[in-house]
Amino acid sequence: MRWNQSYKVLIVFTVLIVLVACSNNKDESASNDEESGNQIEIMTRLHTPEVPEPNIEERIEEKTDVELDISWVPDNNYDDRLNTAFSTGTLPDVVYLGFNQFNQFKDAVRDDQFWEIGPYMDEYENLSKLKEDVLDNALVDGKLYSLYQGRPLSRQGLIYRKDWADNLGLDAPTTTDEFYEMAKAFTEEDPDGNGEDDTIGLTDRDDLIYGAFKTVSSWFGTPNYWGKQDGELLPEFMFPEYIETMDFFRDMHENGYINQDFPVTSKSDQQNMFKNGSAGLYVGSMGDVGSIYNDAKEINPDATYDVHNRVKGPNGEYGIWAIPGFGSLQLFPKSSVETEEELRKILEFFDKLMKPENANLLNWGVEGEHYTVEDDGAVPDENTQKFEREVKPYQSLPIGEPETNGRYEINDPYEPKRKSEELNKDNENFLITDPSITLESESAIEIGDRLQEGINDATYNYILGEIDKEEFEQAVETWRQNGGEDIIAEYNKSYENSKE
Amino acid sequence: MNANSNLERQGKPALTKTEKRIALKKSIKKNKWIYLMILPGILYFFIYKYVPMFGLIISFQDYKPYEGIMGSEWVGLEHFKRLFSDPDFWMIFKNTLILFALQIIIFFPIPIILSLMLNEVRQMYFKRSVQTLIYIPHFMSWVIIVSISYVLLTMDNGIVNGTLEAMGKQEVNFLLNPDWFRPMYVLQVIWREAGWGTIIFLAAISAVDVQLYEAARMDGANRFRQMWHITLPAIKGVIIILLILKIGDVLELGFEHVYLLLNASNREVAEIFDTYVYTAGLKQGQFSYSTAVGFFKGLVGLVLVIGANWLAKKAGEEGVY
Repeated sequence: MRWNQSYKVLIVFTVLIVLVACSNNKDESASNDEESGNQIEIMTRLHTPEVPEPNIEERIEEKTDVELDISWVPDNNYDDRLNTAFSTGTLPDVVYLGFNQFNQFKDAVRDDQFWEIGPYMDEYENLSKLKEDVLDNALVDGKLYSLYQGRPLSRQGLIYRKDWADNLGLDAPTTTDEFYEMAKAFTEEDPDGNGEDDTIGLTDRDDLIYGAFKTVSSWFGTPNYWGKQDGELLPEFMFPEYIETMDFFRDMHENGYINQDFPVTSKSDQQNMFKNGSAGLYVGSMGDVGSIYNDAKEINPDATYDVHNRVKGPNGEYGIWAIPGFGSLQLFPKSSVETEEELRKILEFFDKLMKPENANLLNWGVEGEHYTVEDDGAVPDENTQKFEREVKPYQSLPIGEPETNGRYEINDPYEPKRKSEELNKDNENFLITDPSITLESESAIEIGDRLQEGINDATYNYILGEIDKEEFEQAVETWRQNGGEDIIAEYNKSYENSKE
Repeated sequence: MNANSNLERQGKPALTKTEKRIALKKSIKKNKWIYLMILPGILYFFIYKYVPMFGLIISFQDYKPYEGIMGSEWVGLEHFKRLFSDPDFWMIFKNTLILFALQIIIFFPIPIILSLMLNEVRQMYFKRSVQTLIYIPHFMSWVIIVSISYVLLTMDNGIVNGTLEAMGKQEVNFLLNPDWFRPMYVLQVIWREAGWGTIIFLAAISAVDVQLYEAARMDGANRFRQMWHITLPAIKGVIIILLILKIGDVLELGFEHVYLLLNASNREVAEIFDTYVYTAGLKQGQFSYSTAVGFFKGLVGLVLVIGANWLAKKAGEEGVY
């Protein structure tokens, strides 16, 4: 009798397991059914610690008449998650890709895994407003597969401690030499006047691109990833300006004008040094001044900041590196968007997102609750935490830019932040663009990252004084021999083809 | 064991094959509930350990996710060739083995020594609280361990370098100097895992027959002698099995840990297979190549386990199989 009972229990248990397994399948097929209705699955980056509260999402759903299913993936894991989703065939209806990932997916794009949307664009009033020259950067073999989210072409520049500069009687640096002098003065001349030797000039981090290095290198006139020399395209690190920039950093590092451990410093530690009054210069995205000031005023109420962009190199010219004009691209995989009808429905949704009211909703939240309008600009509510919790994550969704989707530009109550917006526009007067954006190289996709790592290591080690110029050139030679030669050849060939 | 079965065999006539099969069937029938209980275990291993092994196929293909395993092109040993001809291959191989050797030689004995020491502690509350305190770090993620180390060791206002400076000594660049990578790695492993590792040894020690100690005491053995002649031999089997299992994990040096410590200046000593798979393979979406590297890593592990097991058996101990 007792055996019998446990037998039953076991059977029930087994049946339960099987049922659970099956019901999972059922869920999936059920959601597939809904999809053909008006559900859209989106996977996108999450730049805040928590997923947002859903009230904005609900409002957007109401206005566009779709049901959104957004998976928020933390920024750090996004590449991995995307690769996993791709390899297991579980991509959502809309895939948000950064530029580097887009290169990786070009193979699949050519293999007809994504919808070509070029032919549909004219049918949609708002989508057809998207900028032609930005879309051009996202073409694959001359065909358009994606929408884009616009970004200012260059937000790079300098943020510095205005109060320190005033104490020492310094103006914003207009040349790299003045920049160097400022870093030196901030380190050696006790800019905070506390009588202690506790300050440094520049705070930098473990990132050669979005940290200080690439921006300073473009002040020196280094090309943006790839540049032309004697009619041939070559990578930036083969240009003398790159070496000059390294020398510049090496000197600063040796003299202690930059944090000694910068190759292992995280972004938050880097910013902390700037906020807590250990360092006085920050090179990177000028818009960061807003969040930096917000945190700094709590611990360091006297600190004042200012932003600056025009810095001349030894060649007497301005220069700043530019991105392709988009922050992310939106692609539509055929594996999840099965019919043309579904594709049209999604395009229609994005078309609606480009209406000013919807673009504003996703960028600034609800008027009166999250922002107010002043001088035709959005003034975010003072309650930054609420804004971060309810609105900020959604900023990764809308497409286009203020000129095309009609949303408000920011009208920040904090003056330097407003100034940074103006300087972003000013940067457009002396941009250095990346000629390799629309070019193809199979080798670059396959081994480019790995090879670049060798160059990055050598760059750091040169700055740290671990290796000399000869050894750096050896690293470049290694790069050439291990496949760099192929990358150069392929880019140049692709460049020739594109001219025809 | 062997002696026992020999005895049994002498008592009974040898069984024919059919008789054996019937006997087996009978015993399965008799113990069916017990056999049923191992079913979930077998299923677990089958589903999560054996089925995924078929995925190794893609290391011989130019795998494209949208074409699937059936549709992707076969490339033979192409990916293995690429791995062996990578100029960094021997550097990575060497780094992996050195970190592994450090784990075995320096880290492995520490939990044993710790548990022997804990075993000698008289005050129960002291023993228990020490035990708890030393295994708390196991529950912290590597990110936290590495971040704490960073705060302690950085040259920009770090505590350790601050103290060195105050004592008038030269500051040491722990984070960027390649010579410091291995000591730092091993110390962090000890910090995080040593306490946790004592659990099994303490359990084994507590199973030792108390009478043996009493007898030894009668013979005038002091505490150290008791430990040397009773405790250690009693847990020798456990130590060897754990050692073999540890060797099986040989190339599991902790991707997360090493990746967090890795930087431009220490790459020549810190790059291991796991980090290589990540930067050269996964990050660029090269699934086949990553699989090939992982496959190779697994093979090395297999060879080492078989070797260690063989050695253990040679030395008259029981191996894992």
